[in-house]
Amino acid sequence: MYTAGYSRLVSIERRDMSEEQIEKVLSREYEAGFVTDIESETFEPGLDEDVIRRISAMKNEPEWMLEWRLKAYAIWLEMEEPDWAHVQYPKIDFQKISYYSAPKSMADKPQSLDEVDPELLETYKKLGIPLEEQMMLAGVAVDVVFDSVSVVTTFKDKLKEAGVIFCSISEALQEYPELVKKYIGSVVPQRDNYFAALNSAVFTDGSFVYIPKGVRCPMELSTYFRINEENTGQFERTIIIADEGSHVSYLEGCTAPQRDENQLHAAVVELVIMDDAEIKYSTVQNWYPGDENGKGGIYNFVTKRAVCYTNAKVSWTQVETGSAITWKYPSCILRGDNSVGEFYSVALTRGMQQADTGTKMIHLGKNTRSTIISKGISAGRSNNSYRGLVRMGPRADGARNFTQCDSLLIGDQCGAHTFPYVESRNPTAIVEHEATTSKVSDDQMFLCQQRGLDPEKAVAMIVNGFCKEVFKELPMEFAVEAGKLLEISLEGSVG
Amino acid sequence: MANWLESAVARAESGDLVNDCFVGKRRQALTLLKQQAWPTRKVEAWKYTSLYPLQDKTFTIEASNDTAALSTVIDGLESIDLIFINGALQNIPSELPVGLSIASVNDSAEAWAVETYSSIKPERHLFGLVNDVLASDTVIIDVAANASIDRPVRIVNVLSAGHESHSRVLVRLGNNAKASFIEQAIGNESSFHTAFVEYDLGAEAELEHYRFALQTQDAMAVGGCHFNLATKAQLNSTLVGFGSVLSRLDVDVIHAGEYTHAKINAIYLLDNQEIFDLHTVIEHAMPNGSSEENVHGIVADQSTAVFNGRIHIHRDAQKVLAEMNNRNLLLSREATINTKPELEIYADDVRCAHGVTIAEMDKTALFYLQSRGVSLAQAQVMLNFGFINELVDQMPNQILAQWLRPQLRERFAQMEVK
Repeated sequence: MYTAGYSRLVSIERRDMSEEQIEKVLSREYEAGFVTDIESETFEPGLDEDVIRRISAMKNEPEWMLEWRLKAYAIWLEMEEPDWAHVQYPKIDFQKISYYSAPKSMADKPQSLDEVDPELLETYKKLGIPLEEQMMLAGVAVDVVFDSVSVVTTFKDKLKEAGVIFCSISEALQEYPELVKKYIGSVVPQRDNYFAALNSAVFTDGSFVYIPKGVRCPMELSTYFRINEENTGQFERTIIIADEGSHVSYLEGCTAPQRDENQLHAAVVELVIMDDAEIKYSTVQNWYPGDENGKGGIYNFVTKRAVCYTNAKVSWTQVETGSAITWKYPSCILRGDNSVGEFYSVALTRGMQQADTGTKMIHLGKNTRSTIISKGISAGRSNNSYRGLVRMGPRADGARNFTQCDSLLIGDQCGAHTFPYVESRNPTAIVEHEATTSKVSDDQMFLCQQRGLDPEKAVAMIVNGFCKEVFKELPMEFAVEAGKLLEISLEGSVG
Repeated sequence: MANWLESAVARAESGDLVNDCFVGKRRQALTLLKQQAWPTRKVEAWKYTSLYPLQDKTFTIEASNDTAALSTVIDGLESIDLIFINGALQNIPSELPVGLSIASVNDSAEAWAVETYSSIKPERHLFGLVNDVLASDTVIIDVAANASIDRPVRIVNVLSAGHESHSRVLVRLGNNAKASFIEQAIGNESSFHTAFVEYDLGAEAELEHYRFALQTQDAMAVGGCHFNLATKAQLNSTLVGFGSVLSRLDVDVIHAGEYTHAKINAIYLLDNQEIFDLHTVIEHAMPNGSSEENVHGIVADQSTAVFNGRIHIHRDAQKVLAEMNNRNLLLSREATINTKPELEIYADDVRCAHGVTIAEMDKTALFYLQSRGVSLAQAQVMLNFGFINELVDQMPNQILAQWLRPQLRERFAQMEVK
């Protein structure tokens, strides 16, 4: 059975599910939907300068950080909530959200896993995060973000040996303030967009990664986000800097408990990729999507962007199955010559979910290349949109883009949409875009069923094939989880 | 707000509103128009096209015949010509084939016309409303059921320097009727005109349609063709556009019945600092329809081409087949192409595809031609022509194709590869 998180060991048997198991899966509810009952220190709902000052003070931040936050807040106040996305939701009341929530037992900072609140660890176990021995075996270092405070960071020492900095952003602000000051807002400035401005003002945690020159990060880095406290927004900010010639693969997974109210998640991710460096950023997003009738669920408004210098490469891979609303466009600014941007995405919506997601490829340097492979699957009464931009700047000689966005419809009550913007200002640049929309074909279904597969399995198989190009880009354990996630999400949508 | 728009609204309010049978609709449009803001680049529909050239301009409104001498005849076409000079209809041809009736509306029209007027695409942009309010000489063309009209009907707008004009034509094809319509504008001097034509196609009607937006230089034009297709109706449309300081064309096809088919071939060829903005919307509201759209463009010098192609498949419009293809050649470092092929799909049993390519001229093909002794300039014209001719060849009326080809060739000769 699936539980959110890395269930790579269990998942191997998934192909041999019995009828009984399928029945069980069919009647499944959101499994990560439990609430951990631990005392939290949570701010009263509301947002003003004072709240920002308090967040900053709680985190013992340097003065410039507070100034930066306040400036972002001033900008945010002047901005208007964007309405161009193909999503509908009631207006968010930003005064009803609490902007800080930390498990109280953090006050006396645990020094090792043993000191961590056992109930907290139990939560992670339920989520299936192999935080302890499994952790070691898997060789994954996790910077766990529980609501707002980073609880435990494993493998830090081993990473330190390689010169890699991997810590929470609060910690980075204490220990490497100069680095943070240099890079924060350098890719996503405060006034970038409405939700980025809000995040800049109130972000409470996130990861900070620095890979020094020429270092290939010895292990895959991973962050697990989880929203626990009711009515809290999660505003994390992640900065990854890959210095010249370095390489890192970063994994991110998300879940949230089941609640009737809608919760807001507005994150910012900034990637800086220096000459000859490479970042591979993989996400499996499984926030609570709301129930069948669209009650509850996470509003996921995320700004992710990478800047690539000469010969640098960024690869975004995402599997989006959760959230009531997804508003997410991981982007690549290909500034340096010969830099490469890739975007591989699978977005599955069902129930009343709405996803508006895609990417931006901004080609500025010569011979820059980008690939976009987007697979959208809509089921139930959901709406799934691809929204992308490919821009060839006047200096992007010999640049090349290939875009393919395919949509698959399951059921006649859902919608699949494509909004690709293509702008070219350079004759030597070549842009190719193709998109198709279709349903799971009767021929394919017939073929599978004729070979003895039941319709449910046949659909799962066809969808898996449809997404194969993206799954093969994911790190092994994520690929397995993603395939499983899709399969389970699709249960009950055939008929 | 823009001075131009203010003066247009003021003109309409001060009693210039034409008092004919459409006056009710004109009043509605005026109310809506007054609520409209001047579109800036922040408005999605005008994201890539600046209205700055029009914003503060003033034009002569009086209709005048000073361009009447312009010859507009297309040799061998034998078309039935409706000529508007600066918005004023000249005369309605007296001898019409059986089944075709053309009327200029002054105070009365048949009920269907009143009902159809401005209803095919109710939510139009600002200039659609401007045209509703200010187009005075509305012409109504009715093709009787089962009639097949051999001679094409040609709607020509002749424009002279400094003039602003608005023309409007409403066309109905009865059930099983067949006809061919050509829309054309002439005059490259500084002027502004809006020309909208609405086509209402009855069941099994067949329409062959052409729109030549070949005005260039300072002639500003904003216009559109809106088609409504009843069951089994068929549309075959060819659009050709050269750019100007402001040139915008909106084409909307509403598949309102089952088993409808629409084919749209569009060509745009831009040079200098011209802009051409083509917006097409294909609404598949009913099942079993099909549409195919091929848009080829060549963009040279400092010009900008905009293509926004939208396919909207409504819920329950099952078994629809829709294809859209946009291919562009970019000839200069300073030229720009902005294209957005949108799909919005709410039915599952459909097949829908779109494709876009943008690239420069094939270097190996150029080299090949040069190695055979063809000069570079000539080779470029040949390759350009080859890129476009595919669509010109598909024009059902080859007399028009013959008339068009030399104009295209002349255009190519001016377009430099930089």
